[in-house]
Amino acid sequence: MGMLPDEIKPAMQGVIPAHVVTCSLDGTPNVSVISQVYYVDSDHVALSYQFFNKTTKNIRENPHAVVWLISPETFESWDLEIEYDHSETSGPVFEAMDMQIEAIASMTGMKGIFKLKAADIYRVKSARKAVGERIPLFQIKELRGAA
Amino acid sequence: MTAEGQPGVDLREQMAENEKVIEKLNLALAKKTNEVRIIQQISSEITSTLELDRILDIVLGAMDRTLGFRHAMILLKDQAEEKLRLFASRGYEQSGTGPVVNYGDGVIGVVAKRKKMMRVGNIGVSVSYLNAVRVRMQETGELDQAATAAALPGLPNAQSQLAIPLLVKDRLIGVLAVESPKPNAFDELDEMVLNIVANQAATAIDNARMYQTVEQLSRLKRFFSPQLAELIVAGGAEDPLKTHRREITVVFLDLRGFTAFAETSEPEEVMGVLRDYHAEMGKLVLAHEGTLERFTGDGMMIFFNDPVPVPNPAERAIQMAVAMRDRVKELSAVWRKRGYDLAVGVGIAQGYATIGGIGFEGRWDYGAIGTVTNLAARLCGEAKGGQILVSSRVAGALEEMIEVEELGPLVLKGFARPVPAFSVLRLKPTA
Repeated sequence: MGMLPDEIKPAMQGVIPAHVVTCSLDGTPNVSVISQVYYVDSDHVALSYQFFNKTTKNIRENPHAVVWLISPETFESWDLEIEYDHSETSGPVFEAMDMQIEAIASMTGMKGIFKLKAADIYRVKSARKAVGERIPLFQIKELRGAA
Repeated sequence: MTAEGQPGVDLREQMAENEKVIEKLNLALAKKTNEVRIIQQISSEITSTLELDRILDIVLGAMDRTLGFRHAMILLKDQAEEKLRLFASRGYEQSGTGPVVNYGDGVIGVVAKRKKMMRVGNIGVSVSYLNAVRVRMQETGELDQAATAAALPGLPNAQSQLAIPLLVKDRLIGVLAVESPKPNAFDELDEMVLNIVANQAATAIDNARMYQTVEQLSRLKRFFSPQLAELIVAGGAEDPLKTHRREITVVFLDLRGFTAFAETSEPEEVMGVLRDYHAEMGKLVLAHEGTLERFTGDGMMIFFNDPVPVPNPAERAIQMAVAMRDRVKELSAVWRKRGYDLAVGVGIAQGYATIGGIGFEGRWDYGAIGTVTNLAARLCGEAKGGQILVSSRVAGALEEMIEVEELGPLVLKGFARPVPAFSVLRLKPTA
């Protein structure tokens, strides 16, 4: 039994965008909205890497992150503590994400322009259904910078 | 008591909980059993027919009625190109066939290209997101010209799509797709069910198409040479028996002296001569990839550039005609020894004609109709033994290839004004 229960799967279809919280080495936090957190297996998720942005920059400095998910069916929130593990540029996970991006790109006139650079694979350290309030970020020491 | 009572409460709760789980499992099991039964039924139905339309109908019917997929479509791979064509659909305002999906376009096109299943539940969000990215990139100058968005068949407001490649071994036959205006409409169980249906359907569709090809081939072989029939089928061209218009080069030929010969000879002798003549001319028609429209006694009509287009129809026609003239000369030498004086006359013209199946059920011919066929026939009628007469169009087109003698305008039946004609003396030696 891994960290991610089956009931979390609907929240990982990208119907409601997710939030990713990362932190730079100097302790500056960043929250960004991403279109989808992909389910890899019960202990791993994947984020798509298309552009180099604040999230990707932070993750390369500090691999710890928190994602906030919302289930489109129940509107329950899920909080996941994750840690960057590795990036994949081939294989079934990359291909499934790449296919989806290629399909949507062709539907928006972005064929060949909007591409998946890599599938960033994260290990899930904890997953909990947030009741009432979100995960208290200040309690996660990894997100307070390395200093 | 507390020591005994407490576990009792826990046990009751646990039992109630277990019952709920068991009930849930039973429901899931019943659903699964039902699905297995449905799939078995679909499978036995579609493997019992070789009619493509019937197979598609059974699959889509079952999808809707028994599996609960309200919007489903089946696209099949084009025989020649990397494209899919919508063959059948259910649950759409406009049903039927037609739209084409290029490989790599939309969920269905990408599934065809990669030969892998895809399930998307957030099309609306993803499209809005990418549109926003595109606008931003255009504003910052990172993107000057966006490609045009692919036009795709299906629901205009689809949020979820599940598309499965129809594969036989590793060969793509087509794509089976279901969609929904609701987000996250499909799950892993739907994937599993559709995968099984797709596997069965792929084999059945492939068999039906193979059977269709064989049938079409045997039908076409009645009209065209075997090679030509295969070429037509392999090219995935439109049915050539449907009426169409195309520029062709028409060759008419018949034997001078044949009427007199037929009148004075025994029918067996006449048939013998015709058999030799037809056999020899037939070989030359095949060798030059001409289409033999018909035999009428000693007459033959052959055309070029249809049903399979060729780059040089007039050239082929002349080469064939000259070869025929030479061959008939050799045959004539044999015939003369038996006392028959026969020579071939040929007429060639080029132009647009209406072409297609002509006739009635049980007796169809492949025919061409138009001024061009009349002109070729009339020129043939004017040709003396051993003469090849061509229209000015053909003579002009083949100036480099043939030496001609201008005959001056001929008054021909069916033509209001005199028609210039040229007699082909010989092929110019190739440089």
